[in-house]
Amino acid sequence: MKNSKRQHGFWASAALLALAVQGAPALAQGLAPGEYKVGFITENTGAIASAGKSFWNGAQLAAEEIKGKKYLGDASIALDPKESGSDAARAIQAMNQFVADRSVIATSCCILSPVAGSLKPIVTAAKIPLVIYGATAAGLPQPPYIYSMTILPGPKDTATAVKVVDTLKPKTAAYILAADNDAFKGRMAATQKALEGKGVTTAGVVSVLTKDTDFTGAATQAMGLKPDVVLIYATQQAAAGAITALRDRGYKQTIVGNDVLSPAAMFQKMGPTIVGVPFPVSFSATIADSPEAKAFVSGYEAKFSAQPDIYSAQGYQVVWFIAQGLKSISGTPTRESLAAALAKVTKLDHQVYGGEEMKDGQAETAGTLVVNWTADGKVVPWTPSK
Amino acid sequence: MELFLAQLINGLALGSLYALFGLGFGIVFSTLGILNAAHGTYASWAAIIALAAVQKLGLPFVPALLAGIFGGGLLALLVDQIAFQPLRHRAGGGMISALITSIAAWIILDSLAGTATGHESLSFPRGSYPGTMFHLGSIPLPAMQIITVVSMLVVTISLHLLIRRSRFGAAMRAVGWNQTAASLGGVNPRHVVVITAFLAGATSGFAGVLGGISTQNVSFSLGEGLLLKGFAAVVVGGYDDVRGTAVAGVALGILEVLTAQYLSSGLRDGITYALLLGFLLLRPRGLFGSAGFSRA
Repeated sequence: MKNSKRQHGFWASAALLALAVQGAPALAQGLAPGEYKVGFITENTGAIASAGKSFWNGAQLAAEEIKGKKYLGDASIALDPKESGSDAARAIQAMNQFVADRSVIATSCCILSPVAGSLKPIVTAAKIPLVIYGATAAGLPQPPYIYSMTILPGPKDTATAVKVVDTLKPKTAAYILAADNDAFKGRMAATQKALEGKGVTTAGVVSVLTKDTDFTGAATQAMGLKPDVVLIYATQQAAAGAITALRDRGYKQTIVGNDVLSPAAMFQKMGPTIVGVPFPVSFSATIADSPEAKAFVSGYEAKFSAQPDIYSAQGYQVVWFIAQGLKSISGTPTRESLAAALAKVTKLDHQVYGGEEMKDGQAETAGTLVVNWTADGKVVPWTPSK
Repeated sequence: MELFLAQLINGLALGSLYALFGLGFGIVFSTLGILNAAHGTYASWAAIIALAAVQKLGLPFVPALLAGIFGGGLLALLVDQIAFQPLRHRAGGGMISALITSIAAWIILDSLAGTATGHESLSFPRGSYPGTMFHLGSIPLPAMQIITVVSMLVVTISLHLLIRRSRFGAAMRAVGWNQTAASLGGVNPRHVVVITAFLAGATSGFAGVLGGISTQNVSFSLGEGLLLKGFAAVVVGGYDDVRGTAVAGVALGILEVLTAQYLSSGLRDGITYALLLGFLLLRPRGLFGSAGFSRA
């Protein structure tokens, strides 16, 4: 009896060992060691270079961390930067070079939606993954080849405006809109509809242009509408100009901004002018509370002697997202196998915003953080000024 | 009516910036015969220098403004002596050569300005310039708007008196007409060229510093906007009369602001350039330009 048990135990152990040996190659194989090149089209020069540098800094930090933490075992990601200066022609040229370089396994690009849009046919035809780090136009992601790590600001804008309206109960709202920017037009229209649904009358829409520098006329026009609240739908420079002009001319009612107010450079530029102006943000270095987010903040501060902003967080997430795709591949990855792996990612392993998910190639987060700058340069949850 | 008056004042202040910039641009064109594409960079650099004077040296408004003006003048002088002076001694070194050279200078200075500002749009810290808000009845009147308009008037009158009523002004006009003839008449053209280049850069630098403060935009792009509008002011006003440049600059500013208020912001630039084209076709000597002036 005892012998029989011993025999059974032997055969069971042998079977397990055989199974383990049989399965070993597949389990142990993992991602083949090596350095995998990601073509990164930077925007470190030009009109929006300050944001471009943030994206690039975040991406570099992620690549270093992935290597340092051996997230990919003996494999690592090497970023290959090519500058576009936010120019579509230069971005296309850079992308064509990446496509031609077979060692480039994935690419990343673009703050401006038209530039990102111009790359879509190239990467789709070449079957190379593109992860967009900053462009916000809806419809840009197109799995399995095109993904966006930009948290779409439109729903966040609307949520912010609704929160302000629910808190302050204004009766009328005026909008300052960058009329030459389709993304902002769409975002404003969605918010306007939501606010009108809550009984807030539209006092008027004041159009400005992205390249404008003088906003005294627009501010006078908006104040002439006598709104209880002014909502700004414009790019960084135009938003800064419009808010400054409104405050300079003595507008004391609430101004609602958008995500372009979140970088520290905006506070350094505008100082007290934007204190108390509510805006949505997906990531803030001063509010971040998860261990991963805190590690990102401290790593960024150590490397760049500056606080990370939402743009650096997005650049950082791009590289971590690509790494997650690579990690799931056995053996030597190809562009196609990486694209297929990225398409399967539904939840991000490495999160800095919190609650990040991928839906149809688009990164999303739950909830909206409505914040404002304080006089001492901190981002805090928004509360109405007394 | 209140809104109309408020916008009129906004237009007057904006137009004063265009006029101030155009004055410098115009005297270079009428005296030195150079359509200087790099002129906008003098405004950008003057604003950058003034901002550095505030932030790095802690200078108050007036000394920082003067530093910017001097910096703009000095830069214009350097560009003239390095880029344009060699052309004056060459056969065939006419306006086209100068224009091409000025485009090269524009690209170089623009790139350097971008590097100096980290390719960001910077702004003067609050408290470093007069921020008082006055009121004309119920119409708000920021101190910087008043300073801009008064500065434009003072500079226009001073330049007009200098060019029309002084010996140096006569020399400037003589050099503008014909350098060889001016030399034969006892004028030192090099001396006139150097002072004119400095004056032009300083005047446009003045516009750059005031514009940088008013628009909260100190960057390499500051001068580009002023260049096109300043050029339009010079063409519409007349190349050889600073009064015309001042009137046209102010008119352009008012037209822009009122167009945005009552028509559409998208039409502003279109109207400006339609006006420019109209004057080039129908009255190339501009509002105040003399019929005998040949640069157009």
